[in-house]
Amino acid sequence: MKTLSELKQFYQAQLLADLKALEHKRRKVLRKRMYVNTVILCIVAAAVFVTINFRMHPHIIFISIVLSVILAVGAYRLIGKDYIAEFKILIIDRIVHFIDENLTYDRSGCIPKSTFVLSQIFKTKPNRYKGDDLVSGKIGQTKICFSELNAEYESRSGKNRSVRTVFKGLFFIGDFNKNFSCRTVVLPDTAEKLFGRIGQKLQSMNLVRDDLIKLDDPEFEKLFVVYGSDQVGARYVLSTSLMKRIVDFNNKTNRDIHLSFIGSMVFVAVSYKRNLFEPRIFQTLLDFEPVREYFEDLQLAVGIVDDLNLNTRIWTKK
Amino acid sequence: MWIAIIAAVVVIVIIVLLYNTLVGKKNQVINVFGTIDAMLKKRYDLLPKLISTVKTYMQHERALLEEITEMRAKAVSGRLSDDEKVDLDNKVTKALGGIMVAVENYPDLKANQNFLQLQSTMNEVEEQISAARRAYNAAVTDYNNAVEMFPTNIVASIISYKMKKVFEISEEQRQDIDTDKLFKA
Repeated sequence: MKTLSELKQFYQAQLLADLKALEHKRRKVLRKRMYVNTVILCIVAAAVFVTINFRMHPHIIFISIVLSVILAVGAYRLIGKDYIAEFKILIIDRIVHFIDENLTYDRSGCIPKSTFVLSQIFKTKPNRYKGDDLVSGKIGQTKICFSELNAEYESRSGKNRSVRTVFKGLFFIGDFNKNFSCRTVVLPDTAEKLFGRIGQKLQSMNLVRDDLIKLDDPEFEKLFVVYGSDQVGARYVLSTSLMKRIVDFNNKTNRDIHLSFIGSMVFVAVSYKRNLFEPRIFQTLLDFEPVREYFEDLQLAVGIVDDLNLNTRIWTKK
Repeated sequence: MWIAIIAAVVVIVIIVLLYNTLVGKKNQVINVFGTIDAMLKKRYDLLPKLISTVKTYMQHERALLEEITEMRAKAVSGRLSDDEKVDLDNKVTKALGGIMVAVENYPDLKANQNFLQLQSTMNEVEEQISAARRAYNAAVTDYNNAVEMFPTNIVASIISYKMKKVFEISEEQRQDIDTDKLFKA
């Protein structure tokens, strides 16, 4: 595991030069955006002027606002595209290799939707699905793969359209260190926190999930609810030590953690509110702070192998 | 008149639900005990292979190995009560633990491929036994809760369902394995 001081050295020796060049590009992007903003303001102002002077339908103002917002979003994307791509190739890719030489980084790849659905962590099948920053490789004896994901479900009823986030954050897949054929899902426990025993009863009546598994680690039980297809199998996977490790990991990240164990693999979904591995637009790139954040986010994912002790291979799966 | 009939039906339905819940939980306990039995059998099947692999190396542990062979013979004879099965299981676990600790003294054995593979398989079986035991305790706790808590305790006392014991390790086995005492040749 690389330390922060090693990162700082790497940052000063290797990254600063490229960051300076990118900083140039960032300023250019910002200037272009300001330009787009002024154009939009002019369009809307013109629409208002025309509506008032020529006594036209006020709808024109609304249409112009909507049109210009759509234009702006498109323009922003076009303007930022090269800058973001270059940032990822020059900076994120290098940080990934700094953490571990054997990892590969694909800035536009992501965990496929079929895999996301296969993990059975989220019961709603998303109809809007995108992601990026795919990292894959082998840490010790454990094959891993993770990316940023943004999965949403859009429901239309007549003219109304509402978009619900199914999952946004880091999605990790790893080779688990035991062979098993059952299915176990570990979810953050909201009901038990709020309603105690009654909450647990409600959880056991969940129709879309497997049977409720009540485990013997009280701290773990407070934080998580577990559904599984086999009472003994779930306990084989979730050993006493693994439960402790999951609790520690949860407390370390301080985020909503979801896990599932299927087909001798482990899936971990860590919810994030912010976007990961994106370059700053409005602040300078030259600080150490954002580099530290990228590093810590990547380290969190790679660290899951150690946190869950996946490289301990004392059973028949090697 | 109608109200009385509906009330009676509701009460009967409730009693049936409570009764079924109790029976379901009792059967789950039996079910998981069966799984423990199956896992234990896997372990007893591995024991002869383990003994033959380590016998040639571990000269000092002859007595312990013989003890394990005896215990195994008793286990597969199939004439044990549930309590005796549990007791024997605890004894075998302790003895196996002793063997695995003693292996540390035999670097040749530790490097032996057969032994390493066997060790992985044994680790897996031990972990599965442990999982089955935990599942048993969970099933028993669930059953005991139903027998003791309201309203299922009423039905439980009518059909004489009693509380069951969870898997516990007896005091003597709770003490750490005293390796010196175990290996007096």
